[in-house]
Amino acid sequence: MGDNKSDVLQGTLDLMVLKTLEALGPLHGYGIARRIEQVSGDSIVLNQGTIYPALLRLEQRGWIKSEWGTSETNRRAKFYSLSRIGRKKIAEETENWERVASTMARFLASSN
Amino acid sequence: MDWIRTLLNRCATLFRGKKLDADLDEELCAHIDLAIAENVKSGMSPEQARFNALRAFGGVSQTRESYRSQRGLPWLEEISRDIRIAIRGLRKAPGFALTAILTLALGIGAVTSVFSVVNAVLLKPFAFRDPNRLVVLRESEEDHAGRTALPDNYRHVERLKKTAKTLEDIAIFAQNGASVSPNGDHPRIVGRVFSSPNLFSLLGVQPILGRNFVEGDARPGASPVVILSYQGWQSLLGGDPNAVGRTVRLGGDPSTVIGVMPAQMSFPQIAYSPTISFQDPSHSVMLFQPLIATDYDLKTDMGNFDYKAIARLKPDVTLSQASAELESLQNAYTVSAHLPLRFGIALTPLSKDVASGISGALWLMFAAVGAVLLIACVNLANLQLARAVNAERETAVRSALGASKSQLVVSRLVESFLLALTGGTAGAALAFAGVRILLSQVPANVPRLDEVHVNAPVLLFATGISILAAVAFGILPALRSLRVPPQAALQSSSARTVNTQEGSRTRSIMVATQVACTVVLLIVTSLALRSFAHLMNENRGFDTTHVTLAQIDLFSTQYSDDKPNFRTAKLAFVDRTLASLRQLPGVQSASITSVAPLTGETWVDNITRPDHPVPPGKEPLINVRWIDPEYLSTMHSSLIAGRNFTAGDRANPDVALISERASREGFPGEDPVGHKISDILPEPDNNKQLTIVGVVANARINGLKDDAAMLYIPYWAYTPWTLSFLVRSSQPSDALIPAIRRTIWQIDPQVAMPILKSMDEQVSDSAATERFQAIVLTSFGTAALLLALLGVYGVLAYSVSLRRQEFGIRIALGSNKGALIRLVLLQAAYPILLGCGAGLAFAVLALRWVRSLLYETPLLDPLAIGGSLCLIAAAAALAAIIPARRAASLDPMQALRIE
Repeated sequence: MGDNKSDVLQGTLDLMVLKTLEALGPLHGYGIARRIEQVSGDSIVLNQGTIYPALLRLEQRGWIKSEWGTSETNRRAKFYSLSRIGRKKIAEETENWERVASTMARFLASSN
Repeated sequence: MDWIRTLLNRCATLFRGKKLDADLDEELCAHIDLAIAENVKSGMSPEQARFNALRAFGGVSQTRESYRSQRGLPWLEEISRDIRIAIRGLRKAPGFALTAILTLALGIGAVTSVFSVVNAVLLKPFAFRDPNRLVVLRESEEDHAGRTALPDNYRHVERLKKTAKTLEDIAIFAQNGASVSPNGDHPRIVGRVFSSPNLFSLLGVQPILGRNFVEGDARPGASPVVILSYQGWQSLLGGDPNAVGRTVRLGGDPSTVIGVMPAQMSFPQIAYSPTISFQDPSHSVMLFQPLIATDYDLKTDMGNFDYKAIARLKPDVTLSQASAELESLQNAYTVSAHLPLRFGIALTPLSKDVASGISGALWLMFAAVGAVLLIACVNLANLQLARAVNAERETAVRSALGASKSQLVVSRLVESFLLALTGGTAGAALAFAGVRILLSQVPANVPRLDEVHVNAPVLLFATGISILAAVAFGILPALRSLRVPPQAALQSSSARTVNTQEGSRTRSIMVATQVACTVVLLIVTSLALRSFAHLMNENRGFDTTHVTLAQIDLFSTQYSDDKPNFRTAKLAFVDRTLASLRQLPGVQSASITSVAPLTGETWVDNITRPDHPVPPGKEPLINVRWIDPEYLSTMHSSLIAGRNFTAGDRANPDVALISERASREGFPGEDPVGHKISDILPEPDNNKQLTIVGVVANARINGLKDDAAMLYIPYWAYTPWTLSFLVRSSQPSDALIPAIRRTIWQIDPQVAMPILKSMDEQVSDSAATERFQAIVLTSFGTAALLLALLGVYGVLAYSVSLRRQEFGIRIALGSNKGALIRLVLLQAAYPILLGCGAGLAFAVLALRWVRSLLYETPLLDPLAIGGSLCLIAAAAALAAIIPARRAASLDPMQALRIE
């Protein structure tokens, strides 16, 4: 599974998805991708397709769930929402990420 | 936890692939549609909107691929694809597949059958509490031949039980046959154990009905009680749920059933001593009664070695610690009680003791069948190698297209696994039949045979063996496919790549391995056959043809020793029976002996000469038999000095005959006739003496392996309760047996007849272990030889077929047939000679393990070794000559045109 160098990036994407769902409630894949692009501005160039394996991974872990619904343009689409486990995991993952980020920050600062 | 949920989710998708693919497609379409809609809303033309939406998405098919590999179990899909490919490949080569599966099924079936016997007899722990802390306790005695283990003396064991600190407990018991007739029929003899009341608590088993023994049951005068084994409960009381409280009559005396033991408790068969085998009712134990100690038990120190004992070591006490303590206790007692002999103690772990007589033969059989399976695997490896070589091009293409090394090895191994598991499944099924065949051949005295089943551990073993076999015959060909440089394989025609020197070396090594295994197996087989032949052809000193044996037990009440006239009653029964048997048509003579021939040593006693006293313990040992005057003529044993018993001795029966060996040991350099020896009956104030009147030629009357030192006394002096009638007749035993049974039961219907068969059968039964060994080894040896023959043939035939072009060219260039045949035979000769040499060397190393299984056969028996080598050489030559001739008879034009 995620056993290579994209681990950090994967984790990042996962957390972004979770935060998006936390902020906006149930949302389809396109909406999630757009939200991530908008929030991150131009700093992340996301191939929108990569969101889908990430969604599947989260769903397999039981952190999010999905069901078919109707979009604002009346198109049938799959909507994702946080599960109970997912809600708990957000705090945990956020803390993880902050620890990594602050460690990185210290490293980068010390090398100056 | 996350990974478990992930795995479950992934597994759940395995069978819904199509539906999920459709879902994904729809989801992705929705994504693009939503993006287009948003783009259009922001003012783009529809084409522009679509283009931008797709660009922002990235690759649709990449997304689909990575989504899919995240969804299912990719390695499983890969394996299932390999399995499909392998099945397809095997279906294209049905001959190979069938050969392989059949070979494996037979091989694995045979190994599994043998294992199920080995497992039950040697490996499976007893169904007792902590069975590995149970030991068999015997006494031992120093004599000129070293230490001899003896059965136990009651007083000695009781003393150890009180003083030993390394033992939790000791149970002492004796075993005999009891005659029972539950419904008033003719009685039958079943195994009975008289034991101290702590037996079952020591073993750690609880009755399923009723109660265990208590101390009070063993007190003198206690009312007689009996506990039944499960089998005894079933067969004597029909499994009556209200058995407790019922009465069974044992030898005519009533005993109350107080308990029934569970089915899984089969009482271990323990010999009285490893060397002295007492006449043991081989029927399994059905009755347990409390052992009530007599005065004789409690006071005798120097006789009465009539008991067996099982002890339980305390936790954390080792066998050697316990041995050391008991040994010193016993030595100290020997000294303080001024015993004339130094007694010691011999402890053996229970499981080892029970299996001691058969474990060598069983392990040998297991090794032999393992060797056969190994040879079969080498054959299959050869075939697989040839297939791998043929598939070299495919392998090369796959590796050129980027298949990883592990993928290549796995996909070749998958085929082997498929074959092995199919073969293994068939083999496990065959094992059910195999076990039945084995059980019909295994000698009946092998312990725990009733526990031999194809059960979970056995099936697990079969699975393990199948996997091992798959690796054994699949790994070499699989690894070989790695070494194929794709370029070379793709460039050349397949037939030329294969015959690289390396390939032919691998094949030669495999042929050599096969030949070596076969040589070892053949040598062991021929040694066993030679040993068996020696055993059967040795001069026994008696003749069994036309003799029928009937063993009887006089256990009904009128013969019981609390009746005033029991001696006369026994004598009268024997006299009447002998007279009636002699009246039967065709009967030449009829006689009795107190012990059925070939049932081991019994009633071992000392020759004590009043005119020539020797220190206690130094007296020569003899086996005592009570016979009648016709015994010698019935058995065709000859008298070599003095006279036989006559009817005139009846009035004064204190006479005896001794055998040559007893004469040599008891009267070295003297003529024993006319000498007196002390009577051997353990009766109070027995000061009688026996006069030796004759010397009988040596006979292997106790067992085929040894001449026994014998003392014969007329039955008029003493008539044992267990007797054997021997009837010599011109009629075949089959016709005589019903007549004998009728005659005896006419005289007394309450006489039990546990043995009634021809003496020839008795001889053959007594050599059952050796016969079994010979039969099993012969069949495995033959199988090995056939497989090796096939292996040599297969390899040569294959290499000849690969070299057709070369042979064609040679013939075209003028090479003659003889030269070609020589060429092929030489190619075959190297590995075969190498294998013979290696096999011989290994045999010399391995043979010491079979030494104890052989009878009067030297390990380096030239006939056995030479014969085996000639046999394998002949078989190999036969296997080689066919491909060699085929090479020589090639049509050069055809051979050259082939590609």
